[in-house]
Amino acid sequence: MSQPQFPISLLQEQRQQLLARFVKGEEPHFLERHTEILDDYFRESFAGSTVGPRMRVEKNPYAIIALGGYGRKEQCLHSDVDVLLLFKKKIADEAKALVREIFYPLWDMGLQVAHATRSLKECATLASQDFEVLTSLLDARFLCGISSLYSELMGRLRDKVLRRQGGAYLAWLAERNRERHSRYGDSTYLLEPNLKEGLGGLRDYHAMLWMGRAAYQIAEPRDLEFSGHLSHDDFESLCEALSFVKTVRNWLHHLSGRKCDQLYFEYQVRLAENLGYRQENGQRAVEGFLGDLHGQMEFLKRQHLMFLKRAITAKKSGRKKGPGRTVAAGIETVRDALDFESPEAILQNPHLLIKIFEKSAVLGQPLAVGASRLVKEFLYLVDERFQKSPAVIKSLKRILSASPHTFNVLNEMFTTGLMTGLIPEMKGIVNRIQYDEYHLYPVDKHSLRTLQMLKGFRDAPLDEPDAFYAKIYKEIGNPELLLWAGLFHDVGKGEQDQADHARQGEQIVRRVFSRMGFPQEDIETISFLVREHLFLIHTATRRDINDEKIVVQSARHVGDTERLKMLYLLTVADSKATGPKAWNDWKATLLKELFFKIHHMLQEGVLATRAAADLVEKKRKEVFQRWASMPESTLQTLFEQMSTRYLLHTTSEEMVRHVGLYQRLGPAPFVLDVQRGPQENYRTVTVCARDFPGLFSTIAGVFTLNNLDILSAQINTWRNHIALDIFRVKAPPDTLFEANVWDQVNKDLSAASQGELNLSAALDQKVRAHQSLGRKLPRQPDKIIVDNESSDFFTIIEIFTHDFPGLLYRITNSLFQCRLDVWVAKIATKADQVVDVFYVRDFDGQKVDSPEQVTAVEEAIKHMLANGSPEGPGS
Amino acid sequence: MKKIEAIIKPFKLDDVKEGLTELGVQGMTVSEVKGFGRQRGHTEIYRGAEYKVDFVPKVKLEVVVDSELAPQVVEVIAQKAKTGALGDGKIFVSSLEEVIRIRTGEKGKQAI
Repeated sequence: MSQPQFPISLLQEQRQQLLARFVKGEEPHFLERHTEILDDYFRESFAGSTVGPRMRVEKNPYAIIALGGYGRKEQCLHSDVDVLLLFKKKIADEAKALVREIFYPLWDMGLQVAHATRSLKECATLASQDFEVLTSLLDARFLCGISSLYSELMGRLRDKVLRRQGGAYLAWLAERNRERHSRYGDSTYLLEPNLKEGLGGLRDYHAMLWMGRAAYQIAEPRDLEFSGHLSHDDFESLCEALSFVKTVRNWLHHLSGRKCDQLYFEYQVRLAENLGYRQENGQRAVEGFLGDLHGQMEFLKRQHLMFLKRAITAKKSGRKKGPGRTVAAGIETVRDALDFESPEAILQNPHLLIKIFEKSAVLGQPLAVGASRLVKEFLYLVDERFQKSPAVIKSLKRILSASPHTFNVLNEMFTTGLMTGLIPEMKGIVNRIQYDEYHLYPVDKHSLRTLQMLKGFRDAPLDEPDAFYAKIYKEIGNPELLLWAGLFHDVGKGEQDQADHARQGEQIVRRVFSRMGFPQEDIETISFLVREHLFLIHTATRRDINDEKIVVQSARHVGDTERLKMLYLLTVADSKATGPKAWNDWKATLLKELFFKIHHMLQEGVLATRAAADLVEKKRKEVFQRWASMPESTLQTLFEQMSTRYLLHTTSEEMVRHVGLYQRLGPAPFVLDVQRGPQENYRTVTVCARDFPGLFSTIAGVFTLNNLDILSAQINTWRNHIALDIFRVKAPPDTLFEANVWDQVNKDLSAASQGELNLSAALDQKVRAHQSLGRKLPRQPDKIIVDNESSDFFTIIEIFTHDFPGLLYRITNSLFQCRLDVWVAKIATKADQVVDVFYVRDFDGQKVDSPEQVTAVEEAIKHMLANGSPEGPGS
Repeated sequence: MKKIEAIIKPFKLDDVKEGLTELGVQGMTVSEVKGFGRQRGHTEIYRGAEYKVDFVPKVKLEVVVDSELAPQVVEVIAQKAKTGALGDGKIFVSSLEEVIRIRTGEKGKQAI
């Protein structure tokens, strides 16, 4: 084209070309280039302006000045273009026309242009009144017009505003940053970070720059290094981090097509691809990308906080590095920060590398910036001998157990690389992202948070909502093991194959702690906690914790109360440290309930012991052998229906017979089996029946009706509602016609269970017939104990009384009238003294635990004993 | 159209969800809730201190389906959520006047 292009069409064309190169990954300096072509536009259009020359520069000098991000030469794709039209004296009448001429085409192009038109005096006044204005002016950069005007503006800001209000401005900046951090520190911003305002966002860097400009007259970013506020390495790392975040932000603007600074989920996967991330080491592209982003933003955040701290203290004390105070050989404290006395000291004694962190944890003082740098530089001293050194491990233990401060010593150790030097197995979890809505933090940060949570339980004042956890923590014998487990529980997530990170973690933990020379017993405990750290939460949310068998199995799995307590606290801390989706009051309730139940089971029950488990397994094998004819799967299913109590208290011979009875039962309501023994005049009667409330009392009643004296009885209820009631009775007096007796029992039982026989009435008649035979004997008072504490699943009723015919029927019938279901019963008779134990629940399957219910049951049984027995006053 | 709300035991959620997905139910809302019915709260005692569990944790499921599908949905939930023990939960079915998909403005069946 021979004709010169209009500045605006040139800008448009250049922008498109620039963007095309950026998208192809060929333009690493997009923001600077973008700034430059905008600069070109302003200069060209100013030079070719028709209004400009009429404005009489010599009478009222003016300049066009870039502000904000544009002033800093980091003009992002869709960010506002901030421009100031500055006049020396008052604002010229033609200013509006100039704005129309220069700015309107930009608006038409779709750029967001924010412009201000002010005089020099207005600028200075506004800046001193409104620090927002001051902040934007600090980034000012001359574009075109009279350059001396720009210098004059900056001079005035320095002399009139900053000199007088510098301290106030720094305080204002610090406060605004604190506010911004607390607003954007919310967990949602961890998943969808805000690249500009968020923690570690670009604003953190800008704030450093503004502070530098206000406090140290820094002009260019590089001055941060030249003036000694950042080391060369730190500045290089800063540039790298900035470049990364800026590129991500620019991509985000491009993908969203607007000024969007929050990295929403919907853009994350595409952005990772566009930036060239690929699936690697079992980690998705987007996880790798977010891991890097977190790392860089974390770096920015830290630089920001350190800079802020220094700027504030420098302003306050005003003094330079004062004399140090030695806190340990080779380590001194200077201006409330720890530093090495000299680099040579580290060479002579590498232990100082961790000693300084130990001191930091104990004294609550952070490391000086220079000290962190030295640690990084001397990392090569961390070799195998260092890793195994007892002194080093002792320091590490102290750091692990130290109370939390405003800063996290272990985090500092991760950042300097000392942690992964000491325990290389942890490398895999540093900045490891899990891409979902659930895991808010990279794995290393999550592990540190878990540890903090645990220490929080330890240090929690007792009236906090966490008081319960604090109480448990205090009961733990060796809480250090729990803290180790907290730090290491997710270490398996760094492995390539994450299929079972808990088991992978266990392997790693065994290796690490063996190397560090821990006692085998402690290694076992830590390994257990790491391997099982999901067990409780999975059981609580995925299993029926009101099922006794589940609780018994869980109790066996955990083993003892000490481990249970540690595992419980680890589970709570882990969940709380994961994020709000992993922890709430709802989950807390479920987990706590499971904890109580397992704890109770371990304390009270024999059901959960190792010996019990072995015994049951032995019986299972025997029964399987005897029933080889039956398909194994059918037997296995049947075994799962048997309660732990049944499995424990029933011999394998009995089980074999019960399985046979169950086979015989088929669709019938019950089957009856009579065995001779154990002695000649005893019979063992087993009834296998479909359970219904009142079954037991019905059987007992039928026996009494047929003059069968019950010596003992046992109820077992399988989980599929099959009842196996075993009675030991005296043989009928006339053994010759015994078969007839059992026939009658069968008939009566059938009739009674179908409601055709009124047992109560029939028995009353019988008892009256016996009354004349009643003997008056001295007797102990009856005793009834209702126990709700021994079992989480049943109310246990114990009855001590004197025997009389039909007693068992009457007791069980009373329980039935109280709407109680008998699940387990142990009936024993010694002479005429009876001890009956019943495990009951109400018809809804709940324990009988309200005081009214307990009283009602006690009253009913007392009343029955008083009135039902032959010698009772009412009969 | 019917709105079906079910209160079920937490550990039954996966089973129910699976059953409903097989039935072709496209979406559901799940919330963690607490409450009590005949299954009351209770008191736990730990080392002498009482810890009251006033409300029992449950999961609430909400599904909106075409009226024809509703009986099957109810059946699947009832079948999958059943343990036979207390606290298995309840299912509530109510008629629904209107459904609107916000994005497109579609109404009725299309919006489910």
